[in-house]
Amino acid sequence: MVEPQEVTRGQRVLELHHITKLYSGTVALDNVELAVERGEVHGIIGKNGAGKSTLVGIISGIIPPSRGEIIINGKPVHSLTPAVAKKHSISIITQEPQVIEESTVTENLFMPKYLGSRDFINWRFLDQKAKEILDRVGFPVETYLKIRDLSISEKQLLLVIKACYVEEADIIIMDEVSASLNQKDQRILYRIIDERIKAGKTVIFISHHTKELLEVCDRVSVIRDGHSVGCYDTAALDMKSLASLIVGETHYDELVLEDKSREIGEETIFELRDFTAYGRFEDINLKLRKGEIVGIAGLRGSGRTELFKAIAGIDTHEKGELYLHGVEKSYNSPEKASADGVMYLAEERENEGLVNIASIKKNLTINILSKVSRREVIYDRLENPKADELIKTMNIKAFSREQEINQLSGGNKQKVLVGKILAKAPRVCLLDEATRGVDIEAKESILNTINEEMRKTSCILISSPGVDDLIKICDRIMVLYKGRIIDEFARPEFNEEKIYRVMQGELLKSGEVK
Amino acid sequence: MRRRTKIQLFLLDNLVWILLLLFFIYNTFATDSFFTMRNQVNILFQSSLMGMLVLAQGIVMMVGELDLSIDATLAFAPGITILVTSSMVEPSPFLAILMTLMIGGLIGLVNGIFIAKLRANSFLFTLSTQIIMRGLVLFLIPFSISGLLPAYAFLGRGRVGGIFPVAAVAFVVIFLIFEFLFSKTIFGRKFLLTGGNRKASYISGINTSRVIIMAFVIAGLLAAVAGLIAAGRQNAVSNSMGTNMVMMAFAGAILGGGSFEGGMGKPIGMLGGALLLGMIDNALTLKGVNVNLVSAAKGGLIFIAIMLDHFRVKLNAYILYKENLKNLIETAEDSAGSVAS
Repeated sequence: MVEPQEVTRGQRVLELHHITKLYSGTVALDNVELAVERGEVHGIIGKNGAGKSTLVGIISGIIPPSRGEIIINGKPVHSLTPAVAKKHSISIITQEPQVIEESTVTENLFMPKYLGSRDFINWRFLDQKAKEILDRVGFPVETYLKIRDLSISEKQLLLVIKACYVEEADIIIMDEVSASLNQKDQRILYRIIDERIKAGKTVIFISHHTKELLEVCDRVSVIRDGHSVGCYDTAALDMKSLASLIVGETHYDELVLEDKSREIGEETIFELRDFTAYGRFEDINLKLRKGEIVGIAGLRGSGRTELFKAIAGIDTHEKGELYLHGVEKSYNSPEKASADGVMYLAEERENEGLVNIASIKKNLTINILSKVSRREVIYDRLENPKADELIKTMNIKAFSREQEINQLSGGNKQKVLVGKILAKAPRVCLLDEATRGVDIEAKESILNTINEEMRKTSCILISSPGVDDLIKICDRIMVLYKGRIIDEFARPEFNEEKIYRVMQGELLKSGEVK
Repeated sequence: MRRRTKIQLFLLDNLVWILLLLFFIYNTFATDSFFTMRNQVNILFQSSLMGMLVLAQGIVMMVGELDLSIDATLAFAPGITILVTSSMVEPSPFLAILMTLMIGGLIGLVNGIFIAKLRANSFLFTLSTQIIMRGLVLFLIPFSISGLLPAYAFLGRGRVGGIFPVAAVAFVVIFLIFEFLFSKTIFGRKFLLTGGNRKASYISGINTSRVIIMAFVIAGLLAAVAGLIAAGRQNAVSNSMGTNMVMMAFAGAILGGGSFEGGMGKPIGMLGGALLLGMIDNALTLKGVNVNLVSAAKGGLIFIAIMLDHFRVKLNAYILYKENLKNLIETAEDSAGSVAS
């Protein structure tokens, strides 16, 4: 383990002290410390759900912290809002490019403050200016193009250029910017960062990729489970030591749920052969036996959600076959998939998972309406006991089955989401981030239900925000990287650090994936 | 849940009936000849036409869409029927009724398919069908065609036992049927779920396109029924039937618990909404208020309906928040008590 160091390079431009953020039922950040110095590239890294996005939100003024102190250029700032952040010359470039699709490159670069404008806008001047800037960074894009004709990589880079050269921000926050850049644009990005640092600006660089972080950053702050682990000089780190800092020391024996009770049938229930949707995932082969839990580990954008959705008939696939009990199937709508007992648990709880204005009861029975009715008529005497039973099994905290989903906490909402899949007892469960955004108690409860109840009737494919959840309940873990399964681990040989590194594409045999 | 909370929630859910009751009591004392059997039956009869449109709009709003074309369907369906049947030598009235309903359903089907499958915006699309149908009716029917077949006019003119209007009976019966459908059957449950969250319902295996198409078909059918009532009542089909009624249909549906967000509302509430609209019309007319002023008063009612929509959600959340708080305090006191003892 590497010791945190006290580095005194330049003057501190941004300091966070004792930053705590509470959400209903969860502590997202707990006394987090951060100190960024002028003229450095400061990395922030952590696992999914470690609190990175909350921290970035606080720095950029979008999320107000519950407690703590923010100091910019030595002066404490009491309430940091996006407007105040702008005044202190802080710019943020988000994961999803925030652009105006119907406007031109020039318009987007100088929005909302057009240079040299008083009564009317001098377009010729602006266009000239835009060309100069783009030439300077060597980004070959025509200024008259509409943004919608640009690739996502070009959009993202354009926003970087805007923050660096139009707004000329002192502190530039790049939130997983490189994830959507192609290789050529990534090189331009690194060049821009270099140039900005030489100009005395500061860059805060957030990334999932340890390798990139070590190459780009001067120092990295690691956060784990909402706590600061420390701030390290990248010169003293390698990928392995950084990975172990991110993952932390885990006590596997405590975590693993009852290992003995695992009973996996011999019969293969579900099989994918060369399942492919070009650009999303390719050549996926996997088999699930009865009662088996298989984890899909992969970073955001590795194609896990796309894969699950294609299996359940929500999205399309282009090649390959899907077998259920040895019979070839093809689903073009979730209606058909769920009729066959293939159910998808939505990663996006609010948008795709629950009917928020309906009651808990109505959400829980959405998949089993035929079981709580006789000749199309729903009877309370059938539906109410079923709902109560599910509320009890899932340990949902609510004072009535008639309560609206709106009024539940995140953890309880997630339990309802799992509960409605459990109710159906499908043959194949596709659980996409079944433990997303929930507190420890709810997480344990959900994992227990999956392990003890759901596996009795179904075989399960599960993804999770963190590898640790998969390690707790899976029989096998497959690692998805850029849409391909590149490695597989079976139960006894789970190693969180190793899986984490494989997810990064770090332990690839050469030539396996471009 | 404690009893008090239950009662509060029940009253909030049926707010429109409370308003209706208050208005009823007020008029019983304040308006001459309001509280007579004859006038009450009259209110039911007068509300039946608007009631069909309120229910049609309410059901479309339940799935999160809206339908501007229903008041044009009201004139279009009987209008086309009358043009076709008047050219026949011996027209069958039952065929004519069936044809009216089928035209209504067909218009709903077209609306539904374009909106659900091709993702057309329901406001714009139904606006276009409304203008098309109204234009055609104005073109095809010179002011009005009178002299309907007796059986065709039965729904609008007929009286049960010579006293009670058939339209009023049909009005109440249709609402009760839909109340049953939407509170007790899988069919109705799917409407509420689809309106509440279309994407989540789709992922859960509900054929949401079919549900939305069904909502528009039902709306078209109900508009055609309204057309039968309207034509029967004046024993003629006129080209201006139903003009500007669609906005009032929105008011009735929102008063009855509907919302543009979708997934809300019950037919029984919308019955209350339709009756309230009818009763205001009736009471103000009895008081001799100017017609234009009545219209202004109903405009005010739409305003109230919108505020109500907003206010109801807030109040509901507040009542449940109180309940939650009380439960938490009780559990805390219980555990404190057990520690003390």
